[in-house]
Formats: sequence, structure tokens, C-alpha cells
Amino acid sequence: MMRREQPKSFNTIPVKERLTITRQSMPEQDAGERSANFLEVNLGLTPKQAVIEAQRCIECKNPTCMEGCPVSIKIPDFIQLICNEDFLGAANKIKEDNSLAAVCGRVCPQETQCEEVCVVGKRFEPVAIGRLERFVADYALKHGNGSINGVEKPKPSGQKVAIVGSGPAGLAAASDLIKEGHEVTVFEALHEFGGVLVYGIPEFRLPKAILRKEVANLETMGVKFVKNFIVGRTMSIQELMEDEGYDSVFLGLGAGLPRFMNIPGENLNGVYSANEFLTRSNLMRGYEFPEWDTPLYRAKHAIIVGGGNTAMDAVRTAKRLGADEASIVYRRSEEEMPARNEEIHHAKEEGVEFMNLVNPIEFIGDDEGNVVTARCLRMELGEPDDSGRRRPVPMEGSEFTMDVDMVVIAVGNGSNPLIAQTTPEITTNKWGNIVADEDGRTSMEGVFAGGDIVSGGATVILAMGAGRNSAAAINEYLKTKVWSVA
Amino acid sequence: MSLKDEISSMDMNEIVDLCIDMEQQAIDLYAFARDQAKDEAARQKFQELVDMETVHKVALQQFDIEAYLELPPANLKVTDYLMEPIFSENLNTQEILILAAKREDKTAKMYQDLADHFTNDKNLNTFFQMMADEELRHKHDLETEYEKEFLQEG
Repeated sequence: MMRREQPKSFNTIPVKERLTITRQSMPEQDAGERSANFLEVNLGLTPKQAVIEAQRCIECKNPTCMEGCPVSIKIPDFIQLICNEDFLGAANKIKEDNSLAAVCGRVCPQETQCEEVCVVGKRFEPVAIGRLERFVADYALKHGNGSINGVEKPKPSGQKVAIVGSGPAGLAAASDLIKEGHEVTVFEALHEFGGVLVYGIPEFRLPKAILRKEVANLETMGVKFVKNFIVGRTMSIQELMEDEGYDSVFLGLGAGLPRFMNIPGENLNGVYSANEFLTRSNLMRGYEFPEWDTPLYRAKHAIIVGGGNTAMDAVRTAKRLGADEASIVYRRSEEEMPARNEEIHHAKEEGVEFMNLVNPIEFIGDDEGNVVTARCLRMELGEPDDSGRRRPVPMEGSEFTMDVDMVVIAVGNGSNPLIAQTTPEITTNKWGNIVADEDGRTSMEGVFAGGDIVSGGATVILAMGAGRNSAAAINEYLKTKVWSVA
Repeated sequence: MSLKDEISSMDMNEIVDLCIDMEQQAIDLYAFARDQAKDEAARQKFQELVDMETVHKVALQQFDIEAYLELPPANLKVTDYLMEPIFSENLNTQEILILAAKREDKTAKMYQDLADHFTNDKNLNTFFQMMADEELRHKHDLETEYEKEFLQEG
């Protein structure tokens, strides 16, 4: 393995002193104000704050932060460029490995990735790598020209690649493949690009304008985007390859099939999957009703079942839509919640109630089929499960009911079955996920897959990592036309 | 004649054969469902259940009551409050897991009832207790799989 060159240092502060600098707080909208609007909660570091935060980096000889990043961003390098106030240079350094820096700076769980392994974090608070990434990416979107400075347009390879799905895996793959000179077209089933980033993540956490700019940057680099195109319905994979001349296809379809609990009453009016609820609000702009033509119920008491980031997005959306009460109903305790601490903290600040160690067992409706009551059980924690979290067990005789007029089920998503149904050449597993090797090769020659459609629901950055891995393998395949599945 | 009366008139070998027949019925049912299922993922899941019940059947054929020492696993009750799906060619993996866990639960309860009934016969009591525990173990495994895949708490 080649030894990585130490980046040029622009930090003149002695290491000992750097450790005394306080981690810079992210300015944010006041909780009372923001719980009634959909504007972004976090406001981003100022340039001065960014430089101070960057100066906290102690320039380790073996920077573990990079190992914590699924796409191996050159973190020490971009931090040094911030120290030198070369914000565009820092953004370009990130873009070498990550085409969606402004997105990742907002939604990546840095506290369990790069920041978790930051050496400074062993004794002090880790360097706020995510906040710095966001700062320079936003700076570049505002002041840059969208492309990577100093990189010449590649010579056309004469090869065509179809990317199915414009979520994080597809966009990351498109970004890497266009740099190799291939003709890249992204096909999206919906009317906006971004996949889960646009239909799943609310405006107050990821403004759509940011995503549109990232997509526009890819367009500037030469990627073609086609919307309202359902691969498997509008055209099959075979037709793309045989009739339209695509030499390779990457499937980054995501996990967009909502899962329900299979308890009585889930088909009542007012019971949504998180997917439907968030899509109505985010993609269909239900939060701007009546200016936008998507109605969404304003609840008296909305309960959201689940404890992940999707549940937090849904409950905070319900609150902003005007719910008198918006509650998380979670079968374990807060300690086991998979949601990011920041999201839990923000939800609490905004007045969300947390009903932990509670699990619904039935929803009851009125004469018109509208949900009015949730029957629930209290839970207690037993032995840890495979994930290491203590397992919830129902408490005998603990049943109770509560009045509700909106329920959102946020217990996870499965794979869309369309490709499996229309392309029998592609092997799927018992969960409906596409079976692919570590480089994304599927059982059909020339077709690669990556992201949630292969791994099941995961994070944006892991999907991007999978997209980048596949892009490298696609590039190799297009050069050699050798198809070998491990 | 009730099952308890029927069992009272059998010797141990006949009782084991009866249980083997019940396992075979489960194998046949899951194999039928596998062949009917439209979805490849469902077919794979039904095949796993066929394999699991086959392992039970073989274990019963090699049954040794003296070797029984294991403690029963915790009853997770993950699927106890869920709706029981009806067998159809369109079942998905989530429904198959619920259906199988509920079948194991019912069978465990039946064996437990028999174990409680035959408290005066040590051999019969131990045998049915072992069978009840074994079914609960299968339910535990199915519910663990269910929890991992379908209660991700996103």
C-alpha cells in the first residue's frame, strides 16, 4: 500500500494550544420559531468559525478520520485548506471523492463515522468534520462554478452507461463515470431527482435547492438526466442495453417499499407509512398546501411509530404541519434509538413527546373508518439481541389506549420488487434485495447494483460508497469487457 | 377420542412416530406453498422452512430422551399481536415469517398442554416438554429473524 503524503500545513498554532480551542457550535434557528416553519434548522458555520474549527485539527501522521469515511474523503487535506482560507480549494478536495458534499455535510452520521475515530476526540470533542464539510460545500455552491477546478474534460470513451435511480448511489456512480469520459444517463421514476434525498428528507434538514444545485453540477459535468422514466415499466433493462445501446447499467433503486407492522387497523384513514407521509410533504410539497395541491391532515395527536431518523423526520414534520401533539412511540428506550442524537435533541427542543417502551398492537377507527384510538402495550427490556441493544418484551397486563387521529409507521423499508419481477436474469435474495458481489456485479452481464437495493436500508454515505465502488468496476468492465463474478 | 386419550394408549415409539407425522405435514405444507408462491423471495423463504422442519423430523427420528437437558429460550412475543396471514400464492417474506412463527407457537402450546397433562409419567412429560421447548426455540429463531429484518425502526 502506498503511503499517503502529508498535506501542506497552514496551521501555525502549536498542537497543545489547538487542543484548547472549543469546538464551534452550529448556529441554528430558534426551536420555538422553527417548529412552525420548514426552513433549515442548522444555519451553517461562519467563515471565521470554520477557520477556528479547522485549526483544532492536530494533523495526525496516521489520520484515522479518513478510515471512518465510507468514501475516503481526504479529510486532513481539506481541513488544512480551510486553515488557509482556501474554501474553494477545500471544496474541490472533497469533490475528488464525494460529489454530494453539501448533502453529506448535512445528513451523514459523522458522529459514528469520521468524527468517532478522530484522534482529538479521544480526549476532547472531535473536530467537527461534518460541519466543515458542509461549510465548504455551501461556499462552493455559492461562489464556485460547480466543476472541479483544474480537471480537464475527459476524452469521450464512446461507451454508454445507464444509471437507474437518482438517489445517492446513482449520483455518486454518475459523478465518477462521467469523469472517465463515458456517456452517462440517469433515469429517475419520479418527477424530481435525488431519490430518498428528495422524497424522504424534509426541507428543514436538507433544502431541496441544495440538492438541485448538486444535480445541476453533475449536469454541467455532462451527465444527462431523464425523469418520469420507470425502468422495468417504461423500458426494461434488456431494452436499454439491446435497443438503446447502453454498454452497462447501474441499478441504484434504493429501498422505497414501506413496511407495516401487520397489526389490525393499519388500513384505517389517517394511518400512513412514513414513506407516504414524507413523500406527500417533501416531494409533493404538502407543507405548502394550498399553494401546492397536496393535502395533508393537521392532526390533534399524531403518533409516529419507530425510533430512527425517518421517525424523527416524520414527527418533526407532523409538528410543523400543525399537530397539537406529536409523539414518538418507540418499543425500546431512548438509549437504543437508532436515530442520530442531534435529531432526537432537535425533536425534543421542538416539543415532540417521547413515549418510549411502548408498542401499538391495534388501531381502532370510528364509523367512517378514521383512526381514533391506539391500543398499546408497555414493554420492558430483556437480554441484548444481535445488534447489542436490549430487546423489548411486552409486559403482562400493561395494555392501555390513547386517542390519536394520525399514525405514521416508520419501522423500515424494503426493496421495490419491480426489477426482480421484470428481469428474472437478476438474482434476488429472500428479502427481495439484488444479489451483487462487492463491486456490485449482479447475475446479469453488464448490470451492476449498489446502495440500499443490495444492502437493505442504510445511510446516504454508504450508498454513495457502493455507487463509487460499482463505478470503478463498471469502468474496468467497459475497458476489458471481461465479466467475472466472484 | 381426544389427542390426550389417544396418546395415553400409545407406547413411546408410537408417540414419536405421531410427532414425526406432524413434522411431515408441516414439510408438505411449506413445500406446497413454495411451489405455489409467485415471488422468488417467498419461494426461498418457504424452502428454508421446509429445510428447518426436515431438520426437526430427522432429530425426532434420532430422538434420545436421555440427552435432553437444554433450557427453553425466552419467548420474545414479537409476532403474538400480529395478524395471522392466510396461506396464498402472494405471501411475502414478512407474512411467511409471521405465519411460521404463529404455527410454532400453536404447536408449542399443544405440546406444553400435553406435558402438563402427563405430569405423572416422567418419560411422557419430559418428551412433551422437550417438544414444546423445541417449538419455542424455532419460534424464537423466526422472531429474531423477523425483528432484524422487519423492525429496523427506521
